[in-house]
Amino acid sequence: MPPAIVSPALTQTLALSLLGAIPALVLGILVGPAWGWALMALVVFLQLLNALRYFARLERWSRNPQPTAELEGAGAWDEVFSRLYRHEKELRSAIATRDADLAMVESAGQAIVDGIVTLDIDNRISWCNKVAEKQLGLDLRSDRGQPIANLVREPAFVAYLTGGNYRLPLRLSAPHNPELMLSIHLLPYAGGFRLMQARDVTQSERLDRMRRDFVANVSHELRTPLTILGGFLETVRELELTPAEHERYLGLMADQSDRMLRIVQDLLMLSALESAPKPGNDRVRMVALLEKLKADAVALSAGKHEITLDADSVDILGAESELASAFGNLISNAVRYTPAGGRIDISWKRCGTSAEYAVTDDGIGIAPEHIPRLTERFYRADNGRSRESGGTGLGLAIVKHALTRHQATLDIASRPGNGSRFSALFPPARLVD
Amino acid sequence: MTESTHQSKQFDEELSGLRTHVLEMGGLVESQIRSAIDVYVTSETAIVKDIVENDHRVNAYEKIIDDETVHVVARRQPTASDLRLVMGITKIVTDLERIGDEAKKIAKGARRVYEHGQLTLPRVTEIRHVADEAVLMLRRGLDAFARLDVQLASEVIHADAKVDTEFKALVRQLITYMMEDPRTISTAIDIVWICRSIERIGDHAKNIAEHVIYIAEGRDVRHTKETSA
Repeated sequence: MPPAIVSPALTQTLALSLLGAIPALVLGILVGPAWGWALMALVVFLQLLNALRYFARLERWSRNPQPTAELEGAGAWDEVFSRLYRHEKELRSAIATRDADLAMVESAGQAIVDGIVTLDIDNRISWCNKVAEKQLGLDLRSDRGQPIANLVREPAFVAYLTGGNYRLPLRLSAPHNPELMLSIHLLPYAGGFRLMQARDVTQSERLDRMRRDFVANVSHELRTPLTILGGFLETVRELELTPAEHERYLGLMADQSDRMLRIVQDLLMLSALESAPKPGNDRVRMVALLEKLKADAVALSAGKHEITLDADSVDILGAESELASAFGNLISNAVRYTPAGGRIDISWKRCGTSAEYAVTDDGIGIAPEHIPRLTERFYRADNGRSRESGGTGLGLAIVKHALTRHQATLDIASRPGNGSRFSALFPPARLVD
Repeated sequence: MTESTHQSKQFDEELSGLRTHVLEMGGLVESQIRSAIDVYVTSETAIVKDIVENDHRVNAYEKIIDDETVHVVARRQPTASDLRLVMGITKIVTDLERIGDEAKKIAKGARRVYEHGQLTLPRVTEIRHVADEAVLMLRRGLDAFARLDVQLASEVIHADAKVDTEFKALVRQLITYMMEDPRTISTAIDIVWICRSIERIGDHAKNIAEHVIYIAEGRDVRHTKETSA
């Protein structure tokens, strides 16, 4: 049914007004036309007054339309009022729903681990999440509407932004933190708008570099002894040698093949550690183990160092072979890098509810720039010295791995010339009295 | 960001474009300093050529922006805060161009250090530290300009004293090397020049911060002790 042009309520009001005209007409006929007109005027005036009253009410309400404020009328007014009132109420609830939806979308944007910035047609920031604020040094409260290039000013980024070719992401180090590598991708949407995604790729960049370095290093480490071996083989085959020389060359060749064997063994050990299931919960008798490792160290040192052991009677739950290899490695490192006459202290101490294993020496120490990279495979702080003393470059990588598998953390403290302290902190769950 | 409303939307766009150009130039200058310091730290002298090349771009920016400001003044006759913005920009651009020159000097100086062959004195790694400090001042100065953030600008102004102190300490250290072994003098002097350039970058960054305060508040804080916002 199409809506009536004139609503029933309005016709009713109209009829009522006309009804007021009837007594006026009667009075006009009975008493005189002047009286009739006077009554008519009075009726019209009263109706006008009534209309004005409702108008005033509407006017007051419209200044601040609140669904809570009362808006009531009578007759045709009431209908209009209630419709207005309903409209206002619906509008408000619709806005509230939108706001809630928008807040949901926004919090979804906050939940993304990547930095997200939305840009308008002129590359001005319209919104960004907290991650992006941190990565790019933005502050949404003050930077909304600011062209992004005003704040991220790296020439490479500006060129990417204005270049228009967004098929590939851009690698960029974060403006205020060169250590942080970002991969920035611009995704056009809804016409001229753009979504900027900034992903933290520091870790994967580092892993990539380590993998590349690793392959190069393995090849290099194995090639060197092979080359030497090949050289000696040629010599032995082509030159007339005295038995003494012959013996000497064979000895040198055996050294090189030993070294290669050690490298391969260490590599196998590492890969075994990586792929092996979690270490078991066997009880490792620490005091006995450390006594044995100390004896080995004394033999290796051949009386050149003073070696002490101070062990509490706390045992570890774990794999003995892995722990022995880790602890032994730290001790033999100390022996090899401490000049004759130096002192090496091995300690195993309770430390609150945890326990700490530490090897402290007063040897040559390590420069600070090397410390974070020491546990990388084949990383050497001092190339010549390390190989001379028979290292494979894998020792600390193995130590780190073995300790991590036991939830222990390796800490290295050192100052060049002042010795070093390698310590491993074991969590209470791994300890047993 | 404070955006006044003008009768002409185009005027707004012109001013906004002008700011963006200044900040683009700033970004370029900032990366120039970084590359120049990298030459010193990593001894990769191959990139010196690029730095010299890029300095032409810095100079080109200066010319373009100067042109644009003249146009804005001639066509729009800006007043009040707009006028301060335009005047401030011309000064900031001058400082940025000088910083670009200092970056070029650092790069060339570093190349000279390595051309002398083996570095005959301990590599002065503290330079990296002071340089980072100066670059940070510049970056924060430009951030303050982008946001017209007076608080940040006055922090930049205060940071200059630190760069100056570290510069003096570096020079003292170099003097000891020179006294110990006169053969190191020529290299040490090259390094002193590099330090000097870094210290100048700090000064220019401070100037930029002062211009920002002028643009935002109309206060001239140059050559005064009063810098707090």
